Amino acid sequence: MNSTFENNVLTIYPEGNIDTTNAEEVGKEFEEIRAAHPEGAVVLDMDNLKYISSAGLRQILKFKKREKEFSIINCSSEIYEIFEITGFAEMMDVRKGYRHVSVDGCEVIGEGSNGVVYRLNPDTIIKVYKNNDALEDIKRERELAKTALVLGVNTAIPFDVVKVGDKYGSVFELLSAKSLTKLIIQDPENKEKYVKVFADMLKEIHGTEVKPGILPSGKQTALGWAEWLKDYLPEETYTKLHKLIEDVPESNHMLHGDYHTSNVHYANNEAILIDMDTLATGNPIFEFASIYLAYKGYGELDHAAVEKFLKIDWDTADYVLNKLVDLYFEDKDDDYKKEVMEKARVIGYTRALRRTIKRTPDQTELIDYYKKQLIECVDKVDSLAV
Amino acid sequence: MEINKKLEEEVLSIELVGRLDTTTAPELETELKSSLEGVKELVIDLKDLDYISSAGLRVLLFAQKTMNNQGTMKVTNAKPEIMEVFEITGFTDILTIE
Repeated sequence: MNSTFENNVLTIYPEGNIDTTNAEEVGKEFEEIRAAHPEGAVVLDMDNLKYISSAGLRQILKFKKREKEFSIINCSSEIYEIFEITGFAEMMDVRKGYRHVSVDGCEVIGEGSNGVVYRLNPDTIIKVYKNNDALEDIKRERELAKTALVLGVNTAIPFDVVKVGDKYGSVFELLSAKSLTKLIIQDPENKEKYVKVFADMLKEIHGTEVKPGILPSGKQTALGWAEWLKDYLPEETYTKLHKLIEDVPESNHMLHGDYHTSNVHYANNEAILIDMDTLATGNPIFEFASIYLAYKGYGELDHAAVEKFLKIDWDTADYVLNKLVDLYFEDKDDDYKKEVMEKARVIGYTRALRRTIKRTPDQTELIDYYKKQLIECVDKVDSLAV
Repeated sequence: MEINKKLEEEVLSIELVGRLDTTTAPELETELKSSLEGVKELVIDLKDLDYISSAGLRVLLFAQKTMNNQGTMKVTNAKPEIMEVFEITGFTDILTIE
């Protein structure tokens, strides 16, 4: 039986079956391993345990009785059930492990920079992450999706985090719907209808209240961008920009954070939102700032930047952006809608300027452009909230 | 999958038998769409349901949203395997489970 002793924790790895034929022997082995490292806590890692009978359970109980700090981790569903039925799960700290899933023979339906997406069965997908350090991010995204779903936002149903070989995977509902981007391209005559779906979903998101403390604040993020730019902006602009953002009241309403037509899927008169890792809370203007960038701001000097990201042409992107603002603020007049766009540009250019200086400092033309736009926009507006 | 319906005044009880998955979920959705009108209480009995996939969960979500506007809904007698799916997906916080 393998074991490790690290950070004052002795971890033992039982494997295969433990039943009447070998339980005594396993018990003895526990004693021997413990005798070699008598200090610290004991952890039984059950990742490779296939079956345990009552004779095996008796050995675990015997072991546990001698210990102060004793836990059992990484149990498969079957092993965990045995601990549960026998009451062991109440007597000691027993934890389930990640379910093991194989993607052998599964159809690859997408590949991104951080992982590969497979069709796991007819209605679920699994995203297998390349980087094992991603576990915290995977768990976070899953929790956010679950939070949104429970709050009533229609999103792809998140299942569990699993292990695929030595990598981590995240299981989600497979949507049979098409993205609004695809629908707008395939069926341009009905594009207004699709933007309406896009606007309604956005209103639904912004109408959803979230308990404080669960999601990051859009305002604080924007303040961070502005503060980063302190030495790059004229003092007057910086001071006003900072105050403008500071004056936006905090809000517990949900923001998506990466809202574009490829992240909303639609079928059977139902819209479903995906990509929940950027959820935040705050005034809708922070959302409109990022939408402005995606549909216009990033492509103002080179339209291809927007077209490449959204996979729709510049004119269609412009149409979607204007129609979205039009429908979202349908009860407001044209001056108000123009103002919304100005406000969105203030925060949008703040983000774009910081991002360009950070990521591609040699793009001086673009940096000068964003800076000039930001200075002009900040001068024009006197509040940001919408 | 088998769907057994019983309507008593404004209470609709539905018993699901077998597997609620991508092939059978549309059947349940059609059934619900045609029979929820005027229903004040919907009870979905899962004692004989062996498996539920995401397509099945989505139909339950549809039922819950519909009933939110016109009455109440509860899900009863789910087996441990089904309960586990409800737990990992957050459905324990969306549905009323007894």
